[in-house]
Amino acid sequence: MSTVEGDLLHTVEAGSISASRRFWGRSALWLSAIWFMASFVLQAVHELGWTDWGFANWRPVLYAYFIWAAVLCVTRVVIYGEAGKKALFVLPAALFVVSMVVFPLLFALWIGFSDWNLASSAGRRFNGLDNVRRMIADPFYANALLNMILYCLAIAVEYAIAFGLALLLNQEIIARKFWRVTFLVPLMLSPVAVSWMVGKSMLETRFGPIARLARWLGWENPSFFGDPLTARLSIMIMDAWTFIPFMMIMLLAGLQALSREVLEAAEVDGATKWQRFWQVIFPLMLPVSVTAVMIRIIFKLKLADIIITVTSGGPGGATDSVTSFIYREYRDRSNVGYGTLLALVYLVIIVVGMTGLMKISDRIVKRMTGRL
Amino acid sequence: MKVEIYDALMRRQASRRDLLRGTASAAALLGLSGAMGGIAGTAFAADDLRAQILQIPGVGKGSPTDADWQKVGELCLGPTKANVKQGEFAGVELTFMGLNNQNLHNFLFRGFLKPWEAYTGAKINWIDLAQADYNARLQQSIATGTVDFDILEMGAPFEGDTAGRGLLDEMPDWAAKQVEADDLVSYLKPPVGTWDGKTYRVTIDGDCHTFAYRKDYFGEGSISGMAEPPKTWQDVNAASKALIGKTDPLTGQPAYGYLDPLKGWGGFGFYFIENRATAYAKYPGDPAWLFDPENMKPLVNNPAWVQAIQDVLDLIAAKAYPADQINADPGTTAFSQFLAGTGAMLMWWGDVGSSARTSDTSVVGDVVGFGINRGSNRVYNRKSGQWEDKYNEAPNMAYLGWGIYVTKRVSSDEKKRKAAWSAAAHLGGKDLSLWTSAYPSGFQPYRQSHFNYDEWEKAGYDRAYIKDYLGSNADSYNHPNAAIEPRIPGIFQYYSVAEDELAKGFAGQYKSAQETADAIAAAWEKITDQIGRDSQLKLYRTSLGL
Repeated sequence: MSTVEGDLLHTVEAGSISASRRFWGRSALWLSAIWFMASFVLQAVHELGWTDWGFANWRPVLYAYFIWAAVLCVTRVVIYGEAGKKALFVLPAALFVVSMVVFPLLFALWIGFSDWNLASSAGRRFNGLDNVRRMIADPFYANALLNMILYCLAIAVEYAIAFGLALLLNQEIIARKFWRVTFLVPLMLSPVAVSWMVGKSMLETRFGPIARLARWLGWENPSFFGDPLTARLSIMIMDAWTFIPFMMIMLLAGLQALSREVLEAAEVDGATKWQRFWQVIFPLMLPVSVTAVMIRIIFKLKLADIIITVTSGGPGGATDSVTSFIYREYRDRSNVGYGTLLALVYLVIIVVGMTGLMKISDRIVKRMTGRL
Repeated sequence: MKVEIYDALMRRQASRRDLLRGTASAAALLGLSGAMGGIAGTAFAADDLRAQILQIPGVGKGSPTDADWQKVGELCLGPTKANVKQGEFAGVELTFMGLNNQNLHNFLFRGFLKPWEAYTGAKINWIDLAQADYNARLQQSIATGTVDFDILEMGAPFEGDTAGRGLLDEMPDWAAKQVEADDLVSYLKPPVGTWDGKTYRVTIDGDCHTFAYRKDYFGEGSISGMAEPPKTWQDVNAASKALIGKTDPLTGQPAYGYLDPLKGWGGFGFYFIENRATAYAKYPGDPAWLFDPENMKPLVNNPAWVQAIQDVLDLIAAKAYPADQINADPGTTAFSQFLAGTGAMLMWWGDVGSSARTSDTSVVGDVVGFGINRGSNRVYNRKSGQWEDKYNEAPNMAYLGWGIYVTKRVSSDEKKRKAAWSAAAHLGGKDLSLWTSAYPSGFQPYRQSHFNYDEWEKAGYDRAYIKDYLGSNADSYNHPNAAIEPRIPGIFQYYSVAEDELAKGFAGQYKSAQETADAIAAAWEKITDQIGRDSQLKLYRTSLGL
């Protein structure tokens, strides 16, 4: 590519860049950076109500950021020549990450400490630690957190069923392919569809077949979603029904990848079926199992669609997951500030919790597989 | 009908209205010697059109379909044709946001507007919202400045949030004339639909809650043991308890009494506890029943409201509701339960009356009766802080009716603006509205002209039924102690929070009715502080006429 002599973007070795060119480059960079920082600070103090000066919204700050980013890109070459050109390749990605991750996160943090009601013409108002205090004292949020623990514990049962099914489908049974596809069907349905098929139809109190069966068995007025306990169980069952096939297919893939020699050696050594499973298959399957369970926990932590569709968190918030609780705070109550804080706290809980869980599971896997 | 005959009828109909409208019409009438004959003829034409649309599809001939909606829309195009040339809006695209619950509202609008689109050349893009999502979506659009629709189906309670913030386009005079706004029942006339003296809405609905009951549950020897349907909420609860363990005479299923919706519905569910509360809390002569007009303090935790909540808790404790009532929202109580034959009593918007007779899913059309909101044999006087033992009734004017509004997005483009208002006016047309009143639409009678029993009779309704049904609407609209909803910003946030807390109370998460009511009041105080107490108080007082 030809370049024009004297063009600021003309890429030359760092040593041959003139002092004036460096000066103008640095000046432009500093000016745009100062402009960006100043507009950010100005808007921040304006939003805090410490000054009347500021913009109506954050848009001018965003524009200042874009301009600073563009100047930064250009001046890399202007100031550093060829070396700057190399850095230029990374810069767009870095700026993109800042725009799409860091900014929204900071913005969310800002909103999380504000008292934002959508009907208020005053908009967002910083309210310090009010939302934190409210969260700590909110028994319904605590209930949602407790529910999440319960819902996550249900994964143990899901895992056992999925493992059983995987072992079954790993055998030479009649119409194995048919059963594999059949067991996968729930996974192909959206959780909302499952909610309607199972929650709204099968478990419907008056005409649902399961309710009729329950009545026939002696349950006088079956109400699967009317009682907190049965409502939670029903949610767990629907969610499990949808996602057990996911775990099953992962475990089945793991089983098929197991070394035949190891299994045959165990058989030759006279190990019983149970011993072969518990002392060979299960430990060998642990890495796959951990992955499946971890992914399933991540799915579970986002559980909201089934709850929103079937119970809207009811009765009286009894079935709320944290996600559905946050959703309702936003949607029904327009508590944007409080909802955002809850979402951020939940993010921290998930990151810390998952990291801890992974460390523990890693240790268990090492210990159990180390015996082999 | 041949097109040329139809067009001629439409022209004559339009001219009759033009003649009868302004003061100039009187001179025109006097100046034309042959006018009387013409008027008689055109009057017949208008009546003929109204009678004709009421036969689509005809009462007792199944639920109307999309083809029926289009047919009605086509036949009611006359007023549009008088104001808009064919193809005048070619190239115009409009976005319409509205409701789609129970296959009503937007579904009908699509059909009604299809011939309008064909005639005018405009195209409409639809944003459909479920009832439970409607308020949140609208509120978020307003708050975040992302109003992405040109035409909006909205209730008057939101006028503070929209018109008050300058988001709406003022209705042009020609549109007001086209929809014949003078025909509205009194309570829907300004200030409803206006803000700061400017008119913003084409009314398409009334909205008041009326009482519907099963006649076969009451009378001599009936399973309720009551000779007459309940007159008070105390009676309603007594009847509901008396029916526990009985069998429904129509369906053979278990019998139930009153159907309270115990689950929220995006704020709309709060109207149903209001029905009970207004009887206790709306003191004659005192317009305030939601907030104290002196300081905006919630009244929702005063003894009257607590009694209303306690009534529901009593029925829950007595197991007087269907098994899964805790998960029943208002849509469930009306459509899945009452019309389908479960439950003896219901409070709902008036349109349940037309649905009972014209919806395929209704089995109660022959045994349903109507009345205004039930009263109470004692009323709470908030000023004296005392209960007074006297009969009180207060129909709940819940939501002040749906209307069609045009947003500011079109204000700078005259062609688009005219197109938007023309679409709105078509939906709010006088003749078309008669059809929506008489058939399942989500809308109830709201014009004086809707109360012509003869027209309904010709559609296939029997006179006794229609007198009963329309009477319940008219008596509610005209009641001197009607509980009118305030048009203040954020009103549905108050309602949403309230129904959320109520759901917790009904599920036993709070210890008592008082504690539930206190939780609502605390949440309402917070909302008032967030939005701004002074401005809320000012608007609330204005809405009460203080």
